[in-house]
Amino acid sequence: MKGRIASTVFVAALIFFAGYAALFIAPDEKTMHAIQRIFYFHLPSWIAMFTAFSVVFVANIAYLATRKEKWDALGVAGAEAGVVCCTIGLATGPLWARPVWGIWWTWDARLTTTFILWLLYLSYLLLRGLLDDPEKKATLSAIFGIFAFLDVPLVYVSNRLWRTQHPQPVILGGNDSGLDPTMSKVLLLCVIAVMGVMIIVLLDRYRLERLRHEFEELRQEIETRSLAPSSILEKESA
Amino acid sequence: MSTTRAMAILLAKELRLEFRTRELLSATIVFALVIVVLFSFAFDPTAAESRRYGPGLLWIAFLFAGSLMLNPSFAREQTNDTLDALRMAPISAFAILSAKMLANFIFMSLVELVLVPVFSVLYNVSLTGVAGRLILVLVLGTIGLTVTGTVFSAISSHARMRELLLPLLLLPILTPLLIGAVEATASLLVDQPELDRTWVALLAGFDIVFLTASWLLCDYLIEE
Amino acid sequence: MKNFQYLFTAWMVVWAVFFVYELSIAQRLSRLRDDIEGLKRQLREK
Repeated sequence: MKGRIASTVFVAALIFFAGYAALFIAPDEKTMHAIQRIFYFHLPSWIAMFTAFSVVFVANIAYLATRKEKWDALGVAGAEAGVVCCTIGLATGPLWARPVWGIWWTWDARLTTTFILWLLYLSYLLLRGLLDDPEKKATLSAIFGIFAFLDVPLVYVSNRLWRTQHPQPVILGGNDSGLDPTMSKVLLLCVIAVMGVMIIVLLDRYRLERLRHEFEELRQEIETRSLAPSSILEKESA
Repeated sequence: MSTTRAMAILLAKELRLEFRTRELLSATIVFALVIVVLFSFAFDPTAAESRRYGPGLLWIAFLFAGSLMLNPSFAREQTNDTLDALRMAPISAFAILSAKMLANFIFMSLVELVLVPVFSVLYNVSLTGVAGRLILVLVLGTIGLTVTGTVFSAISSHARMRELLLPLLLLPILTPLLIGAVEATASLLVDQPELDRTWVALLAGFDIVFLTASWLLCDYLIEE
Repeated sequence: MKNFQYLFTAWMVVWAVFFVYELSIAQRLSRLRDDIEGLKRQLREK
């Protein structure tokens, strides 16, 4: 409990400082000026998203290999955390595009890929919602999760190839051209902050899922005991 | 029983089942036709626009019709628990899965065999000279569609709302395939047709990745 | 600072989304903990 409070305070401080750094300390970018600072949240959310989905992939494989419930819990926690990060990425994209390009959305490679990943892992969560039996839910969603992760590089590559054939306004044009050292430091700080938040959120969701499982087991236990009165008598006499 | 022999027998069963009534095939062909026709009402394309959007339309029709056609693949095993019977037989899970994949591939190919000439007539797109390369693109695309679609049919057959779930799971996964197939087809329907190797490689890569994944995971898919 | 409203909105969106999500988890967690305590009590009584 103490550790939780300490880490929450630490991450909250990180968030505050990272935000301050991104908004005020980082130097102004040449062409886009202030609005470019969204990049300090946009890119880290992408990194956090990808990390979360990698966790899902590992958890899915581990579940199929070991059948231990904790891996299924990690899988759903990672998927939800990843979808949250993805939502953030999709929300900050238009907030960048609008002032810079005058449009809310563009089908450039990165945004399109993010959108498809969002749909993919949303489907993962929907699939779980529609499966009732817990073991089937875990097994089948693990299989789908593995397929989804294998699709990620394909989605990325196909969109890159496609969009270089039909050039579109590139939103992140600025960051590829050698980053100013202060910018790199601010970026690193923001990456750590966003990753920290994602990990905290993921672990909490994991804890929630495991508690749910414990709840179900207890409920089952009570049901079986109320159906077998003789076992209660045995317990009393023991 | 060896896997190939089991596969052959199961494939024959799947084909026989379908060709007895041919209802799935006919429904799918008509549905794909409806999509193709609807497009002309919704967009009223000029000849140039047909040329430009044709490949996209064709593959959208195949993907949508395919996602509906793939549903019964495992869904029909739920009634009478016939999948349990298959599991108890001395055949590998891979034989069961790949027989269905092959059957679906054949069905989908038949649908495409009907749709492509109809499409070329309705939208005045010439296919002379590119038939062979077009078939290659169609085959690669259909493999990807039926491999992933059959696996997801198995997955969604256990879930509620399976008719909606299957397209929902399948279509996002298939976006690389859609991009590759549409671009490859488009490169063949221009004045100077030249099959773009990049897209063929993408399609082949897609097929290999998911065929391998299906093979590795088939036991978990078909299990109890 | 030019376009500051977009920038600030983006910053708020990032942390608001995480915060709301974390809040919903924390709520469910405490509710579950109470439910589990209730069940454990039931089991002990039996």
